[in-house]
Amino acid sequence: MMKALSTVCLVLLLAFASSAGGDEESTARLLVSKNILNEYLVADKDLTVEYIIYNVGGSPALNVELNDDSFPDSDFSVVRGFLKVKWQRLAPGSNVTHSVIVRPKNYGMFNFTSAQVSYKPSEATDIQRVYTSAPGEGQIVSLKEFDRQFSPHIMDWATFAIMTLPSIAFPWMLWYRSKSKYEGKTKKN
Amino acid sequence: MASTLLVVSVFLAFSSLVSGDKCIGPQVKSDVYTSKEGPMSTQAVFIVEFSLSCKNNLKNLPLYAELNGQVMPASRAISSDKYQVSWSGEHKSVSSGTYNVRIYDEEGYAALRKAQRSGGDTSAISPLYTVPIPYSGVWKGPLVQTEFVAVCAAVLVWYLAHSTRSRLQS
Repeated sequence: MMKALSTVCLVLLLAFASSAGGDEESTARLLVSKNILNEYLVADKDLTVEYIIYNVGGSPALNVELNDDSFPDSDFSVVRGFLKVKWQRLAPGSNVTHSVIVRPKNYGMFNFTSAQVSYKPSEATDIQRVYTSAPGEGQIVSLKEFDRQFSPHIMDWATFAIMTLPSIAFPWMLWYRSKSKYEGKTKKN
Repeated sequence: MASTLLVVSVFLAFSSLVSGDKCIGPQVKSDVYTSKEGPMSTQAVFIVEFSLSCKNNLKNLPLYAELNGQVMPASRAISSDKYQVSWSGEHKSVSSGTYNVRIYDEEGYAALRKAQRSGGDTSAISPLYTVPIPYSGVWKGPLVQTEFVAVCAAVLVWYLAHSTRSRLQS
């Protein structure tokens, strides 16, 4: 009895939710994802942010504006791309990709939050605002830390080779001197 | 002579009327970014920032860009009059070389879509401008790990010493 009642309630809720979204056929609906494409987040190195805007509605979205406030000037510098852009028109059933390259100025834990997108679902309606997905928290490591793990350390290995040289070269030289002296003596004989 | 002049001037006047929405003598200044290091991006990303200046001083034209068969609307920066197009692809499928981003205006875009739908030749439609993107791939790490080289050198030294010693002792 309770199960039947809860199922009926769920169905009614879903029906209400889908109808409350407006007439799907004649308005635009944008879903936006924001992703950080980096495998490692390193201070003073490029951080690739990608936004994908999908128009899942039935009509073009007008005056689409993407605004990302989550990279303050104190913590990030923009290398390429714009954090505030607009498109005049986004066709229904299409998607558009927007990428921005920023560079973190400091290291530490950073919470990557959502950006905002505003658009007009149709000529007659008001501006609709949506949030993008949030990539979440990420640890930005310092350049020193990253290099310690990933750089080829050529100088370090060269130094090591030079340091091992005495313990190899010295016995070899002793042997070589005695060898040439001994061979010289046998040759004389 | 006078009649030719008249014909020419009428033609010029007519063409300037008709070209109300078309950019004459488009000049594009562009800045290009391509992904450089593998760990900094799991996909190859191309970003082109560009500004368009027309001899007939048209501004705020809607522009579209085509790269590798994909056509997308160019976004406009809110704080300046620059445009931006971005494109990303899997590292595996993006080889190094020069890619060409073709920029179209509204008219060119409509012609392009028509040609794409009817399966016609899209390269016949001349773009407003073409931006070349040289891409040399991403750095995925050194060819040979230095640790490997160090181990090889150590093994070589040991081998030389060992073979010399066994030769002497025999």
